[in-house]
Amino acid sequence: MIAELGHLLAFLALATAAAQSVLGLTTGGEATRRLAVATGMFTALAMLTLIISFVRLDFSVALVAANSHSQKPLIYRIAGAWGNHEGSMLLWCVIMSAYGAAAALWMRADRLRDRALGVQGLLTLGSLAYLLFASSPFLRLAVPPLEGRGMNPLLQDPAVALHPPFLYTGYVGLSFVFSIAAAGLINGSIDRDWAKRVRPWALTAWSALTVGIALGAIWAYYELGWGGWWFWDPVENASFMPWLVTAALVHSLIVTEKRGSMAAWTVFLAVLAFCLALLGTFLVRSGVMTSVHAFATDPTRGIVLLIGLAIAGGAALALYAWRAPKIPPGPEFDPVSREGALVLNNLFLSVGAALVLVGTVTPMFAQALNVSLSIGEPYFQLTFAPMMAVLLLFMPLAPMSAWRKTELKPILRRLAPAGILAVIAGGFAMIVGGWQPWLGFGVLVGVWVIAGVVLDLVRRAGPGGAGRLFKLPLAVWGMTIAHIGIGLFVIGATAETVTRSERTFPLQRGESATMQGWTFRFDGVRQVEGPNYNATRADITVTHDGRTDVIHPEKRIYPIAQSGTTEVSIRKTAWRDVYVALGDTIREEPGVWRIRIAFHPLIDWVFGGAGLIALGGFISLTAKLRRRAPATDAAAATTPEATTETPPAGAPA
Amino acid sequence: MTWLLLLAFQLGVETPLADAQEEARAQGLMREIRCVVCENEPVSQSTADIAVDMRRAIRKQVEAGKSNNEIRHFFTDKYGQFASFRPPTEGFWLLLWAFPFLLVGGAAAFLGMRAFGKRKPGLKPLPDDGRGPLEG
Repeated sequence: MIAELGHLLAFLALATAAAQSVLGLTTGGEATRRLAVATGMFTALAMLTLIISFVRLDFSVALVAANSHSQKPLIYRIAGAWGNHEGSMLLWCVIMSAYGAAAALWMRADRLRDRALGVQGLLTLGSLAYLLFASSPFLRLAVPPLEGRGMNPLLQDPAVALHPPFLYTGYVGLSFVFSIAAAGLINGSIDRDWAKRVRPWALTAWSALTVGIALGAIWAYYELGWGGWWFWDPVENASFMPWLVTAALVHSLIVTEKRGSMAAWTVFLAVLAFCLALLGTFLVRSGVMTSVHAFATDPTRGIVLLIGLAIAGGAALALYAWRAPKIPPGPEFDPVSREGALVLNNLFLSVGAALVLVGTVTPMFAQALNVSLSIGEPYFQLTFAPMMAVLLLFMPLAPMSAWRKTELKPILRRLAPAGILAVIAGGFAMIVGGWQPWLGFGVLVGVWVIAGVVLDLVRRAGPGGAGRLFKLPLAVWGMTIAHIGIGLFVIGATAETVTRSERTFPLQRGESATMQGWTFRFDGVRQVEGPNYNATRADITVTHDGRTDVIHPEKRIYPIAQSGTTEVSIRKTAWRDVYVALGDTIREEPGVWRIRIAFHPLIDWVFGGAGLIALGGFISLTAKLRRRAPATDAAAATTPEATTETPPAGAPA
Repeated sequence: MTWLLLLAFQLGVETPLADAQEEARAQGLMREIRCVVCENEPVSQSTADIAVDMRRAIRKQVEAGKSNNEIRHFFTDKYGQFASFRPPTEGFWLLLWAFPFLLVGGAAAFLGMRAFGKRKPGLKPLPDDGRGPLEG
C-alpha cells in the first residue's frame, strides 16, 4: 500500500502545484501561501513513503528491487532512496517544493512573494509531471523478486550518501532564486527591496552547493583510489558553472541591495544560475558525455530535460529582454569604488563560468562532428587558474573600498603589511617546495587574500581592543570567513597540485618500499567479509621516524552488483596525507600486488577552505535572517527615501 | 620460463626513472595523456593494463630525451587528439586557449572606457557601517 500512497501523494502535489502556479500568478494571497505549503508537505511525505519502501526492502517496488539488497546496511538503504535516477528526481521535487513552502512561511506577504510562489509552482509542476509520467519511483513489479539487485557500490559511502541532498539543496535552490527573479521581472520591481529578499535564498543555495561540491571532491579523493579531488571532469564542471555564477550573484546582490546599482545585471545572473543548473543536470543525466562520475544516464531523459531548459530559460530570457530596459540604472558611482571592485569580481567570475562551459561542451560538439578532442586539466590549469589569480590579487582591495568613490592610496598603504607577508611566504614556499614558481605564486596569492581580509577586519573593529571584533555585524564575519576559506583553498590547492608525489610499487609479501623517508612493508593480503561485499585487505607496516603503524588498504568486490571499490588507507600528518591504495595483482603473478603510495600535501586545506567558504555563506545568511525584524521589512517596503533614517533593526548598538 | 621473463618484464613496468627531474616530467605527462579505454581518466590514475603500458612508454621516451611535445604527438598520432587532455595549441584551436583572455580583456576595456569616459569628479565616498542599505 505504501508505494501507492506515495504515488497518490505525488499526484496530490501535482494538483496543488498546478493550483499554486495559477493562483500565485493571478490573484495571489493566502490561498497561494497555503497551497505552497501543501505542495511541500505532499512531496516530502511521498519521499517518506519511498524511504519506508527502501528500509522495509519491499522488492515489489521496482525501484527498490533494482537498487537495494537485504544485505545492505540500514543507512545505505535510506540513502538508496535517492541514489538512483527516479529517487533523485523525487528528491529534486521535494527540495524544489520545500523552497516554495519555506518562502510561503517566511517571506513577507506581497505580490513579489505570490508571483515567486506562482513561478515556483510552475517549475514544481513541470518536475512532478516529469517524475510521474517519465520516471516514477512508485511502480510495482507484477512478480516481486526474492532479492534486490543492490546498488552501485561506489555510492555506498557516507560522503556520497549526503552528497545529493546538499548538491540538490544548492542546485534546486537556484530554482527559487530564478522564481523571485521572474516574479520581480513580471512585477517590474527589480529594486533594492527585491535584492534584499533574493539574497538569503541565493546564499542558502550557494552555501549548500559549496558543501555538495566539496563532499563530491572528498569522495573522489578517498573512494576513486587515485587521490585526485578535482579533475575538471564534465560532471564536476556541471556543478561548478552554477557555483561560479551564483558566487557572482551573491556579490552583485550586495551592490543592488546597498546602492540600487547593477540591478539589471543582477537579475540576469539570478536567471542564468538556474539555467546553468538545468544545463548541468542535462549534461550529467543525458549521457552526452563520458565521465567517471556519470550515473543513471539515459538519452530520452536528456531530451525532456533539454525541453524543460529551453522552456524555462527561453521564457525567463524573453521576460528579461522585455523588462530589463525599464530597470533604472541606480545611483552613479566612480569606477574606483566598492561598486567598481564588485563589477570586477563579476567580470572575472562570469568569464570563468563561460570558460568552464566552453571547455566542457566543446569536446561534445567535437564528438558530434567526429573531431577527436579532449579538454581537461592542462587546459583549465592554464586558463582558469591565472584568471582567478588576477581576481584574487584584487580581492583584498574590495572590502576596504568605500562605496561610490574610494581613494586607492590609503587602502594600498593599509594593505602593505599583507603584501610584504605574502611575498615572504611565497618565497619561503619556493625554498621549501623546491623552486616551483607556481607554488610560490599560489602561496603568495593565498597569503595576500588571508592577510588582506584580516587587516580589513582589524580596520573595521577600529581602535579599542579585540572586544570590538565581536560587535561587528555577522555579515562582515561571514564575508571574512568565506574569504579566508578562499585563501586557504588556494594555498592548499596549489601545494597539492604542484608538489604531490605518487608512485606505484609492485610488491611481494615481505618486500618493502621506501618513499620520502617512509617505509612500507607489504605483509600480504587476506580475505575479509563485509555485510554485502568481500574484501581483499592488505596488511602494510608503515615506519616513519621510528614510529610503526599497520594500515589496511582494501579492494572490495560487491558480488550482487558485480563491481568493486578501492578503500584507501590515509595517514594524516601535520602537513600532508600519506595515501596508500591497493592496486591489482600483476597479470602473470598473483603474489605480486601493485601498491600505490602518494603524498598529498595540504589536502586538508583544500577541503577545510571549501568548508569555510560554505560556513561564511551560512553566517551571512543568519545575518540576513536576524535583520528580518518586522520594522526593517516594513520600512523597506516603502519608498527608498524612507529607509534612510531607519536604524538597522537587530543590529547591536 | 616464459612467465618468469614476462614477470621480470612486468615488474620493470612501474619503476620510476632514476633522475628525479625526468621522473617529475614523466609524471606530468601521465596526468595529461588520457587512458584510452577508461571513462575519463589520465593514464596516471588508471590501473588498466593499457594505462600501465602507456606509462611505461612515457617513461621510456622521457628517458630517451624526447621533448614533451614529441611525446604528446606520439600518443595523439596513434589514438587521435582524444588521447591528450591538452587541446592542440595551433591553428583554429588557439582560439580556444585565447578566448577567455580576449573575453575578459575586451569586457574590461569596454567597461573601463565607458566608466572612466563619463567619470564625474564630484562624487564623494560614502561611509558604511556594514549594516543597512546606503543612500546618497
